[in-house]
Amino acid sequence: MTEAIAARGARPWEDPAVAPFLQIRNVTKRFGSYTAVNDVSLDIYRGELFCLLGGSGCGKSTLLRMLAGFETPTSGQILIDGEDMSGVPPYLRDTNMMFQSYALFPHMSVEKNIAYGLKRDGVKRAEVATRVTEMLSLVQLDGLAARKPHQLSGGQRQRVALARALIRKPKLLMLDEPLGALDKKLREETQRELIKIQETLGVTFVVVTHDQEEAMTLSTRLGVMTAGEIMQVGTPHDVYEYPQSRFVADFIGSVNLFEGRIAGDFEDHATIHSPDTGSEILVSHGISGVKGQPVAVALRPEKIAIERRLPETVANRLRARVEDVSYMGNLSVFHVTLPTGKPVKVSQTNRLRSDDDAIRAGEEVEIGWDGAASVVVTA
Amino acid sequence: MRLRALAGWLRIEGRAAVVAVPLVWLGLFFLLPFVVLAKIAVSESVIARPPYLPIWDWAEGVLNISLNFGNFQFLTEDPLYLLAYLGSLKMAAVSTVIALLIGYPMAYVIARAPSNRRNILLMLVVLPFWTSFLLRVYAWIGILKGNGLLNGLLMATGIIHEPLVILQTDFAVYLGIVYSYLPFMILPLYSTLVKLDEALLEASADLGARPFVTFVTVTLPLSVPGIIAGALLVFIPAVGEFVIPALLGGPKTLMIGSVLWNEFFSNRDWPVASAVAIVMLVVLVLPIGLLQRTQSEKEENA
Amino acid sequence: MRKMIAAGLAALASAGMAGAEEPVLNIYNWSDYIAPDTIPGFEKETGIKVNYDVFDSNEVVEAKMLTGSTNYDIVVPSLEFMARQAQAGVFQPIDKAALANYGNLDPKLMAIAATNDEGNTYGVPYMMYTIGIGYNRDKVAERLGSDTIDSWSALFDPEQAAKLQGCGIALLDSPSEITAAALNYLGLDPTSEKTEDLEAAMALLAKVRPYVRYFHSSQYINDLANGDICLTVGYSGDILQARNRATEAGQGVRVAYAIPKEGAQVGFDMLAIPSDAPHPENALKFIDYFLRPEVAAAVSDHVFYANVNARATPLVAAEVREDPGIYPAPEVMDKLYTARPHKQRYDRALTRAWTTLKTGQ
Repeated sequence: MTEAIAARGARPWEDPAVAPFLQIRNVTKRFGSYTAVNDVSLDIYRGELFCLLGGSGCGKSTLLRMLAGFETPTSGQILIDGEDMSGVPPYLRDTNMMFQSYALFPHMSVEKNIAYGLKRDGVKRAEVATRVTEMLSLVQLDGLAARKPHQLSGGQRQRVALARALIRKPKLLMLDEPLGALDKKLREETQRELIKIQETLGVTFVVVTHDQEEAMTLSTRLGVMTAGEIMQVGTPHDVYEYPQSRFVADFIGSVNLFEGRIAGDFEDHATIHSPDTGSEILVSHGISGVKGQPVAVALRPEKIAIERRLPETVANRLRARVEDVSYMGNLSVFHVTLPTGKPVKVSQTNRLRSDDDAIRAGEEVEIGWDGAASVVVTA
Repeated sequence: MRLRALAGWLRIEGRAAVVAVPLVWLGLFFLLPFVVLAKIAVSESVIARPPYLPIWDWAEGVLNISLNFGNFQFLTEDPLYLLAYLGSLKMAAVSTVIALLIGYPMAYVIARAPSNRRNILLMLVVLPFWTSFLLRVYAWIGILKGNGLLNGLLMATGIIHEPLVILQTDFAVYLGIVYSYLPFMILPLYSTLVKLDEALLEASADLGARPFVTFVTVTLPLSVPGIIAGALLVFIPAVGEFVIPALLGGPKTLMIGSVLWNEFFSNRDWPVASAVAIVMLVVLVLPIGLLQRTQSEKEENA
Repeated sequence: MRKMIAAGLAALASAGMAGAEEPVLNIYNWSDYIAPDTIPGFEKETGIKVNYDVFDSNEVVEAKMLTGSTNYDIVVPSLEFMARQAQAGVFQPIDKAALANYGNLDPKLMAIAATNDEGNTYGVPYMMYTIGIGYNRDKVAERLGSDTIDSWSALFDPEQAAKLQGCGIALLDSPSEITAAALNYLGLDPTSEKTEDLEAAMALLAKVRPYVRYFHSSQYINDLANGDICLTVGYSGDILQARNRATEAGQGVRVAYAIPKEGAQVGFDMLAIPSDAPHPENALKFIDYFLRPEVAAAVSDHVFYANVNARATPLVAAEVREDPGIYPAPEVMDKLYTARPHKQRYDRALTRAWTTLKTGQ
């Protein structure tokens, strides 16, 4: 229990003294000529809630299925708690999985579904009963023990699936799109509950999801996958603020990418010459690269200021024309075009309920950002 | 407005038409023959054409209806009929169980085969239907008889020295029924098993169940509808089976089909023959109806 | 389909030309029971189109006839079946005056047939058969010491039957014929319907029942020819057919037919005209055509059954005519008996006893 809570604050992946709990070493999985997972190496630590994030077909589910033992790696090795998993069938693994479809046994009651794993382990009846009751209350399904899955709502089914997967107290719980089938409101609620349960039980979670918001909310760390490879691993903050590639920058959240070349490289700052902006962009931190190297400046829309006229203190300042304003409620997104023709997205929190002086489509404005607001990506 | 009314009317009529087709079918091919049968069953046998008395006659403005239930009573007087019913039920039940034991693994393998191979395998199951049923039963005679293929093979390999008497035994009848009706067992089983969500089996394995345990706790209970459908499709025709016991069975094989044949053809007693048939129908339909009802109640209560 | 077309044509014809029959004739005969040129010869001569259907069980024919509206003009049931169906009004009397060749029929045999069809009213005999013993000469010789059977004791003597059990005994699945043979063997009236006689016959049969492999009315033909069984009670023509098949197969199976010395059942298959036949005149034309000696002789040559046509006998091929299994010697003829149609109550008792015999129930 303490481990999980600690994981939220501590950063075991930064401590070389902590051995990883789950080690994925150069794992590749091919189906015929198609490579679903390509040479993936990844360490996950005890008590983590790790999210594998990626679009459909990126290989995240295949990777998860290899952890569960439903697929065998073509090459590479998986170690759980130091134990090599190759050749170990699913029913002998100390892991459990919550399926995307939930895969509840339709012919069994909620109670029987949840008790299933314990019964297989030969746990005594009385204990099964107690633990099922505990589980039912943990997932707030008290009173529904006798129902059959088809008599439950989507959210209730999701909880049964979770309870069923958790009751054996697995070392590792895998969740395949755990919240995918729920509507938005319920999803947000359940996300918080999931974190609470994970922290209460201290089980290591590996979650597969295509929903970046979900990944950001849930995870201690996340891994962004595409085309069978992991592009970047890090905390939600790291991945969002310090993307290492155009792909990650673009995949997580919304981003403006200005292509260019390194023009000036100094100790504490650099300049990028970008034909997209028609200017030299000031970046107020050192970068690794050589002069003339092609790079992109990634800039989140919320980090850009938009005014009819910006103070001259703003490092990067560009004239732009507002093409369209999307009102989203909490914020407004300005679709502007630079004189070079490059479209840029800028978002602004709506602090006032109504603003007569708001910038409207068609206006000539200035946009600008601080030298520390952007990230330079090379990949 | 009028258009909408018309559309609504069409929809209702359309639905009625869709429901009507099976109803008309049932009426024409089940109910009507049954009524005719029932009519003959309460009549009396005579030497005439047709060989039974009409159950009503109209004389001088008086309608006389005479129903003779003696035929049914007659069935209770001779233990032969009860024994024949029991013999048929036993024969059908054993055949059904054997067909299930053989058909289930076959259906399972087909359902788990790669989808491009499934259709070929299914076609192989149905393939025997492309030749006449009678011919196939005759082929078994050629295989099983004293100097037939099977005995020839066994003797040639030195396993036996005297031909085995297989033909004209109950074993041959079981073989014939199981062989003939096996596809009816496999097809519904296949269609249930192929719909079985693979994730359920994975979930079971994930929760610590070995493959056999998964089969018993998940696969088997979820294929019960297929088992019931397949068992009924084998059991019902097997109870009334006449051709297979007549061709493959021995003289001791007592089944209701041959009793019915005797009543109709040897005794020329159409009314008793009809009574035998009606009782058989009731014997079959009642338990199936009850089963259906309990099944659907279970569904609702579940 | 054919029948439907025929019926349609019949309707058309009767509407068109009142009185005169359309040139169509519907015949329903036993399978493999005619010469190949009989029908074509008749069609060529008369211009009547013949629709020829076949059956292989008297019982099936009876069920059809009792249902009625069969559209057949000529049906060929066995005599005792025809007699019962005639009682039900199924057949019309034969107009003998229309049959120029009626006089060719053997009066002695006609007298036998008349015991079941008074005055030979409803039928004209087609072929005559006996019900005797067919056997495998070598296997019987191996077990009984002689390759010739001349007595029912080969079957009804439990000692002998026991010896033959291993090579296979089959019986016609026909209670009436087998019971009659048993009664005859016991010296009782083979047509008796007395309860005690039936019991006596069944007691005799029960003793040899353990040695009987199966009861079937046609299976024995193949099995005898292939050597799968070595003794059967069956129809003369069927057993002779088995004999010929065995010879053709050349596997060394030698089949013989015996009319045992105690006597055997003789039967007739009768040409009869249903009372609702659409073409009774054409039917009479065909019967008269069949009564020609050369036509009847050709059928006998082909099917190995004797016809009842006295003038045909010299024309029948010698191998058929001189085969005592087909044309019994006069002294054997005296020992033959015919079946009688049973009362329904007796039939029921007989069938029941037969079921007990077969199944033990």
